[in-house]
Amino acid sequence: MKWPRFFLLAVVVALAAWAWVALHPDSERQIRRRLEGLAHAASFGPNQGYLAKLAGAQSLAGFCATNVEVNIDVPGRQEHGLAGREDIQQAALAMRASARALTVTFPDVTVQVSADQQSAVADLTLQAQVPGEHDMIVQEVKATLQKIDGQWLIVKAETVRTLK
Amino acid sequence: MTETKSGPRQERRSGSWLRTLALGRNPKTTLIRAAILALVCVVVFKCLLLPVRVEGISMTPTYADGAIHFVNRLAYLRREPRRGDVVGIRLTPPNGWSAPHIMYLKRIIGLPGETISFADGRVLVNGRILDEPYEKGPSNWNTDAVTLGADECFVVGDNRSMAKEDHEFGRAERNRIVGKALW
Repeated sequence: MKWPRFFLLAVVVALAAWAWVALHPDSERQIRRRLEGLAHAASFGPNQGYLAKLAGAQSLAGFCATNVEVNIDVPGRQEHGLAGREDIQQAALAMRASARALTVTFPDVTVQVSADQQSAVADLTLQAQVPGEHDMIVQEVKATLQKIDGQWLIVKAETVRTLK
Repeated sequence: MTETKSGPRQERRSGSWLRTLALGRNPKTTLIRAAILALVCVVVFKCLLLPVRVEGISMTPTYADGAIHFVNRLAYLRREPRRGDVVGIRLTPPNGWSAPHIMYLKRIIGLPGETISFADGRVLVNGRILDEPYEKGPSNWNTDAVTLGADECFVVGDNRSMAKEDHEFGRAERNRIVGKALW
């Protein structure tokens, strides 16, 4: 086989492998994509109307199970807990009302999927920044996810103190 | 006439000069060199010497807000962290050799097994005052004594003038220490 044909065959095989992985992602990849979506839903731009804010808050709550529990314990602030999608939606709406804009990313994510592929724990670094402002919030978060009706949903999320 | 004849030749000459400057006399060799250089840069700056931009004032005056530094991941391959070292600490549990994108930059003041506390802004290690030439501002921090585990270090920023509540400090697990700041 001449080398251009061999090269072409290698490219086709690589493309097929890539397409297979892209179309059939494993649980870890699905969770990582889900978390990217969550970060996108948590972010919002300036000058949003009420309907856009509501849609954004609903979209964010859609990443959580109906019985989700969120515990926020940040140094220098009072410990705060949220329970259920309704609470998440209300908190997201309140955030959109108080801040002009917000960009949320998860730059470092570690995912551990259980043997039965039905639950997972994600350790992630949350980075939140108001565009145009210098200071940013950086926080370690542990999220527990469950596969419910074929979708990975957050059932528990809590802030973690990196330095104890 | 002379000008019209020499015009294209001059252009050709300047074109080949530019090509030589951009690609070298042997383009193939230049491309291989460039590829090797890119590979070396990726390996060095993604895996070994992590570039970090300091955000915040917790390490002032040693590290100014916005300054660029490097964290050496090989620093603790042969030796354990020492008191006074400025280290990078990852916020997520270690995941193989993958480098974190975000980390705390703090100074080690307590080593495994030691008892650390703050009294009127001074650090006490096993009850004795620690000499800290890098700490410049006034401080009135007071904390309870903490005894470190076998795999823990106590880390804190150099700026103790800021409110204790706004400053991240405390026990860091050894496996969260990414490396030592280069300077």
